[in-house]
Amino acid sequence: MKAVGARVPRYDGVAHATGRTEFVDDVRVPGTLWVKALRSPSHHADITRLDVSAAVAMKGVRAVITADDVPLLEYGHLSALGIPADEPLLAKGEVRYKGQPIAVVAADDEEIAQAAVDAIGLDLTEKPALFDIRKAFDADAPRIHQWGNWYTHFEGGMDRRQIRKGNIEDAFDKADVIVQGVYRPAAIEHVPLETQVSLVVPEANGRLTIYSCTQALYFSMGVVAAHLQLPLNKLKFVGGTVGGGFGGKVDTATETICALLAQKSGRPVKWRWTREEEFLCSSTRAPWHMEIADAVTKDGWILGRKMLTLHDSGAYSRFSPYGLTKHSFHHTGAYSIPNLEFDGYVVYTNRVPTTAMRGFGVTSVSFATETHLSRIAHELGVDPFELRLKNANRIGDTSPNQIAYTDPSTVPTILAIANALGHKLTPDYRAMTRDPRSGDLLPEHLVAQIGSTEGH
Amino acid sequence: MNLSVNGVPHNIESAPLTSLLDVLREELQITSAKAGCEQGGCGACTVLIDGEPQRSCLTPVVAVEGAEITTVEGLGTPNDLAPVQQAFTHHYAAQCGFCTSGMMLAAHAYVEHGGTEDREAIQDALGGHVCRCTGYVKIIDAVAAVARGDSFDATLTAAGTRMTNLGGVA
Repeated sequence: MKAVGARVPRYDGVAHATGRTEFVDDVRVPGTLWVKALRSPSHHADITRLDVSAAVAMKGVRAVITADDVPLLEYGHLSALGIPADEPLLAKGEVRYKGQPIAVVAADDEEIAQAAVDAIGLDLTEKPALFDIRKAFDADAPRIHQWGNWYTHFEGGMDRRQIRKGNIEDAFDKADVIVQGVYRPAAIEHVPLETQVSLVVPEANGRLTIYSCTQALYFSMGVVAAHLQLPLNKLKFVGGTVGGGFGGKVDTATETICALLAQKSGRPVKWRWTREEEFLCSSTRAPWHMEIADAVTKDGWILGRKMLTLHDSGAYSRFSPYGLTKHSFHHTGAYSIPNLEFDGYVVYTNRVPTTAMRGFGVTSVSFATETHLSRIAHELGVDPFELRLKNANRIGDTSPNQIAYTDPSTVPTILAIANALGHKLTPDYRAMTRDPRSGDLLPEHLVAQIGSTEGH
Repeated sequence: MNLSVNGVPHNIESAPLTSLLDVLREELQITSAKAGCEQGGCGACTVLIDGEPQRSCLTPVVAVEGAEITTVEGLGTPNDLAPVQQAFTHHYAAQCGFCTSGMMLAAHAYVEHGGTEDREAIQDALGGHVCRCTGYVKIIDAVAAVARGDSFDATLTAAGTRMTNLGGVA
């Protein structure tokens, strides 16, 4: 524990302060080609004509790639975990979101690359688009995804992430009050100051050196290798320096396409998105729709929770099934609610695919739960701190997915907040700890959920 | 046309309307100024033009013919850091580092022009600079420290030195 409380220098502190940190865009390789993409101008359409011949023939253009050039067109970001793939690297036959890449060009400079993109022939037949996750289940909603309008491949072929714990009907029968709320946090763009960028250099030994701003280097390596159908030993990833990511650089946004263009042209290839592309075409934090109904007693015990979550995945799955799973495991927040009925859906829309951002899947439910607890306290007329402390996770309490907590920090955290705000608490609340429940803090409804912490 | 960057004269070959940012990064291979938005919105491309912080992405190189340009490379080196570089290192004012060069040049100019440790004045001076890692508090701490004339422990800021157990440094 020598580092705790000591000043430890950042290993990259002086490099940052002298401008010597080498970000991907700072790597200099002579003869590097620029990349530009033809992106979908439509939210949802069939591609009826795609003609790249004029771009291919243009002076200074070194490679043009469409879906037909990709060895394995569809590979999911979670394929390695058994989640099936649904997203083509480049659009084939149809486009499902505005900004979706359809064809990419590598050329001697940025201007030629853009001129070549402008010369590509594209005809689209517009289709109805879906933007509101609440309308995805309607009988007359446009069907926008090959699996329907929501993900259908959870374990056992289930079309939702479902949690059942305890006896929910009994909890609602015994409740004095049912408190309901709907919570809808919106999409957020990560806005890293360094936009998506990679540089791929074809080496004389047949390997590709991939300079990447990825936050998830080994994920990206697997994704690139799969699309290219190459063994991993043909790829050398250089990463670790990220100019801001916040979750947005977990997606493999540019590396695969640069690798294909480097293979085809035999030249180093760099693709750096413009700020406009970053805003319009990069993944965002997901919008969520969460409906909560809590069964509550007059004195502030939360006996049970029913919850419906709709997670806006955008046009494709990417990491959303994983994000929703995390969300479901955390859907009671930092509190012990023993009787649960949770249903969560990964819903498709014609928006840019969504992805991780700072607490993937969990920030949404923390926002909903904390707001909802304040609403309960207000409706009951009880102290919001005392309501939280009473229901706070304790050692031995179990999470929605039946994991016994060994060191839950809810009680000390809430006490620290109360202290910082000068909020007055009665002595018995002030004396609370995270220790296992007993006495008045172990009412009948919480007995059955207690789990074993042995072996953790 | 001629341009002096960090005291070194250069004969520039780029077209006159090429941005100063592209001239620095692509022709002169000086990469500390970053292309964050290329719209003048983020401040990552900031350099000093005759001592004044300016957006290099919005500045055609022809407009600064004969000027003295300063980038972070011109402030100090790892073994001879300028006060603002010492302060940013000391106060952990850089997280990802992408905005840092622009921030430091704006901070350097602020202090050179007699700026004080007043936090609102520092915020005004850095108002055109975005840090998405949200390290503003430490950045302002660092600039205030330079404005106060704090001295920084050489063992904390020297390159390659393991720096621990510096009592009294908050």
